[in-house]
Amino acid sequence: MHPTSLQTMLIVSVFTVVYLIYIARKTAHQKLDVYDFVMLSSLGVIPFLFAVFPGVAAFAAEVTGVVYPFVALFGLLFIFIFVFVHRLTEKVHSLEQDNRMLVQEISLLRQALEQPRGAKSDSD
Amino acid sequence: MDDLRVLLIIPCYNEQDSIGPLLDEIAACGGYATIVIDDGSRDATYQNAVKRSPTVRLLRNLGIGGAVQTGIKYAERMGFDLCVQIDGDGQHPPAEVARLVAAYRASPRSLLIGSRYLLNDSFRSTSSRRMGSQVIARFLRLLYPHFHATDPTSGMRMMDRAAIQFFARHYPADYPEPISLAWALKRGLSVGEVAVKMRAREHGRSSIFGLRSAAYMARVLGYILLARLSRFMPR
Repeated sequence: MHPTSLQTMLIVSVFTVVYLIYIARKTAHQKLDVYDFVMLSSLGVIPFLFAVFPGVAAFAAEVTGVVYPFVALFGLLFIFIFVFVHRLTEKVHSLEQDNRMLVQEISLLRQALEQPRGAKSDSD
Repeated sequence: MDDLRVLLIIPCYNEQDSIGPLLDEIAACGGYATIVIDDGSRDATYQNAVKRSPTVRLLRNLGIGGAVQTGIKYAERMGFDLCVQIDGDGQHPPAEVARLVAAYRASPRSLLIGSRYLLNDSFRSTSSRRMGSQVIARFLRLLYPHFHATDPTSGMRMMDRAAIQFFARHYPADYPEPISLAWALKRGLSVGEVAVKMRAREHGRSSIFGLRSAAYMARVLGYILLARLSRFMPR
């Protein structure tokens, strides 16, 4: 198991800290919710753990049966991204349906207000 | 009409040249209430329609499914007994609505589809589209052996109150004609077909062409299969 270089640890640490602060501020201003914060922060924390504690990477590789620790790193990141994207897809679909319903309701309301019933061909 | 209140739902997108003559033709037939759904047109469709008919102008384009569902919601809220969807491009002669109404009186069904393939003297669309329609019809027959559709993609269809109440709440957004048919069958609504005459499109172009046709078929067949297999149908 090769120790991580100081340069790599520094770069990863700085990225992690800056990114965590950035998304924490976004969450505090309600631009993100707590679930988003947890999922996105994992994308910074996991590489940080693997870089600072190479034993974690080696353990992950051993447990998952892969030869190279970086494969375990990317696999773990992929799982988090997969779950996050799946949730976002569901959310977008739900928002699309809500949006459609709102457009219909507002449009019908506008028609009822602008064109009172009986003004045009509304009789048998 | 005597005791049945019938509403014609006319979804439109950029049909400024067709909508005026169509509404005049409907007025000449007499007796039908109309609601035009302007699906975010960028031309004078709304201006030409609102002079002649109540018109809902959607805030943004929702597609044919969203537009038709808006009309169905209007039908439900205004207490109509029947609603008939006819396209704003002039393909569906308003005079044919009487056939649908007569068929409903003779044998009430929740969903009556106007089929252009039951009459040989009707405009029957291009050969590739007929073939696509036949593939969908056969697939539906495979999943619902008790129902034989000849024109599952027809946009001319009549709904009664049961169908209106269901589709006001649940209507497919994309390419809704065959998928809504599958949902109706899964839901247990009674479905039938009536021979109608149709015309060639006078203005504008179809939204289904080229590679889109293959994508359309894949999506439609997929949705129909999902509807059949799913235990969690919309209630």
